[in-house]
Amino acid sequence: MEKKSIVKKITGSREALLAVILILLFAVVSVISPSFLTVKSVTDMLKNNAVTMIMSLGMLCVMLVGGIDISIMSTLALSGMSIGMLLKYEYISNTVVAFAIALAIGTACGLLVGLVISRADVPPIIATMGFMYVFRAMGYLVSNGGEWASAAALGSFKDFATTKILGLSCVIWVIILCYVVFFFFMKWTRTGRKIYAVGSNANAAEVSGINVRNIKLLVYMIMGFLAGLGGAIQVSVYASAMPDMQLGGEMDVIAACVIGGVSMSGGRGTVLGALLGSLILATIAKALPLVGIDPLAQNTIKGVLILVVVVANVVLQRVADRSALKGREM
Amino acid sequence: MAGKSGRSINNVPESPIKKMLFSWEGILVIVFILVNIFCACFSEFYNLKSLLRQMPVYLAEVFLMLPMAYILVLGEIDISVGSIVCLCATMSCIVCNTGAPFVLVVITALVVGTLCGSVNGFILTRFQELPPMIVTLATQIIFRGIAEIILGSGGSISASNTDGFRLLAGKVGSVPYILFLVVIMAVIFAVILGKSTFGRRVYAIGTNRLTAYYSGIHVQKIRFIIYTVMGTISGLCALFIVSTSYGANTTTGNGFEMDAIAMAVFGGISSTGGKGNLAGGVISAFIIVCLRVGLGQRNVHAQVILLILGLLLIGAVALPNIIGQVKKAMKVKK
Repeated sequence: MEKKSIVKKITGSREALLAVILILLFAVVSVISPSFLTVKSVTDMLKNNAVTMIMSLGMLCVMLVGGIDISIMSTLALSGMSIGMLLKYEYISNTVVAFAIALAIGTACGLLVGLVISRADVPPIIATMGFMYVFRAMGYLVSNGGEWASAAALGSFKDFATTKILGLSCVIWVIILCYVVFFFFMKWTRTGRKIYAVGSNANAAEVSGINVRNIKLLVYMIMGFLAGLGGAIQVSVYASAMPDMQLGGEMDVIAACVIGGVSMSGGRGTVLGALLGSLILATIAKALPLVGIDPLAQNTIKGVLILVVVVANVVLQRVADRSALKGREM
Repeated sequence: MAGKSGRSINNVPESPIKKMLFSWEGILVIVFILVNIFCACFSEFYNLKSLLRQMPVYLAEVFLMLPMAYILVLGEIDISVGSIVCLCATMSCIVCNTGAPFVLVVITALVVGTLCGSVNGFILTRFQELPPMIVTLATQIIFRGIAEIILGSGGSISASNTDGFRLLAGKVGSVPYILFLVVIMAVIFAVILGKSTFGRRVYAIGTNRLTAYYSGIHVQKIRFIIYTVMGTISGLCALFIVSTSYGANTTTGNGFEMDAIAMAVFGGISSTGGKGNLAGGVISAFIIVCLRVGLGQRNVHAQVILLILGLLLIGAVALPNIIGQVKKAMKVKK
């Protein structure tokens, strides 16, 4: 076997290319604004984007089986709002209990979505669109018609975001834990490989004895679980709970996955890609005001970036296909 | 079968009356009557007069449902329409504030919409491998982003000269113009989709794109036209939105794409393509409009209305599937 050159390896692997882009981005921004590359600034960036980063893991699983979930931020609002209200009216005060409740609500929402999609054969976009309305409205009902749970009402729960273990915020430890667990889960466990198998070819997976419907149910439950976790983290990082939190944020999560190379049609995408995708989005959001671009332009730049990434992907794929064809003709 | 609704409760009906009753459209008509009875019982203010007065706000979204139905029949989706509405509303307010004649304002909204739609269409036809969901997700962020840049830090604009918009919100007797326009447009769109060659081609593409391509249909041309028309209609919708609020802000049109898709899907148009017709879509649109007016009159919060809509949407798609599965299971047992 011939050994590939390093240049070819980098341009051939999506993740390496993304990593290079991320490093370039970091370099450019820190040259223009030295205050960017400090420990505090980077940890703040990670903390503020913790929700998107964690939930892009769930979206990775969902998109791997060829689905999509746009109800996640409503699940987040429902679970976050529930614990916010429970803390406010002092039904609970323990941080662990609050987390457990948020996770349970999130998983239950995911189970419901998964059942509707896998058992009743409703197209994912339609089902999750319906649940997007339903869960958001439920979050609103839980909040007694629009009440907020402010920082004072949250008691010791908000300390979770400010507590540090080994010099790093708890929130960042949660992100690291999630990514490590998912890296192993997707790469080396049987279930993780089954998710890839279903995404690549559902019929082949079915024939080879994988219960496709259960795998589909599972990925939406994972998504719901992470949305519940996101809800708890959102409430503790921003020290407030309101029914309209992260409205429209699901698009950021999908965008992070798409930039990270996760295919919409399923079967393609890695945990590393999701990480790099969400990091690139987070860096851009943080860097724009630092390099003197009006934050108003942030959304436009984000949209153009997604478009450029997906179009570049198609162009590269076409070039690759053509050169492969050339090789065969000779 | 193309043209027929994607869903039906009973697939072996005997008499024509039974056939009509058990078709999805028949069920929708019954639901429509039930919703109206419910609203009349629920709110003492609910009558034809108040319905006609409060309808226009919700009717603007029905415009979006019409081309959205075409896109769904193609088996695709466009989630950028809400942002196009926002951009068109912003631009039309800006042109209006320069003191330009109202005709120019209308032209601006339609042209901006058409341009946005053609951007979607151009990218999607140039790079056919791209899923429409992702492309329109990106353009959704871009179009609203452009509107945000134009609106600046204030985030809102109001039309200084509202005469033109007032004219648009006018009435014949007690029937608002917009209702006439919705009905006329619905008939045009339904006839083109159901009866013309163009419409049959749309169904053919939705059923099997490759077969359609090999049988000589200009698949990409048709897709481009439909996405462009979607943009134009978004511009039209934006005009009517401005004519009810006399202004625009960064959240104008938020969630309109979802409402339009919900109306179409609830009306029996399958999101996987090739199935459904506009009759169902129009009936379901009016069900939703009536429901919103009726519940709104008793100050039911918008979120609760969305909750009901969400459940209706999921139920409408899930129930026929579940019934089908139960029937199949019973047959196997026999």
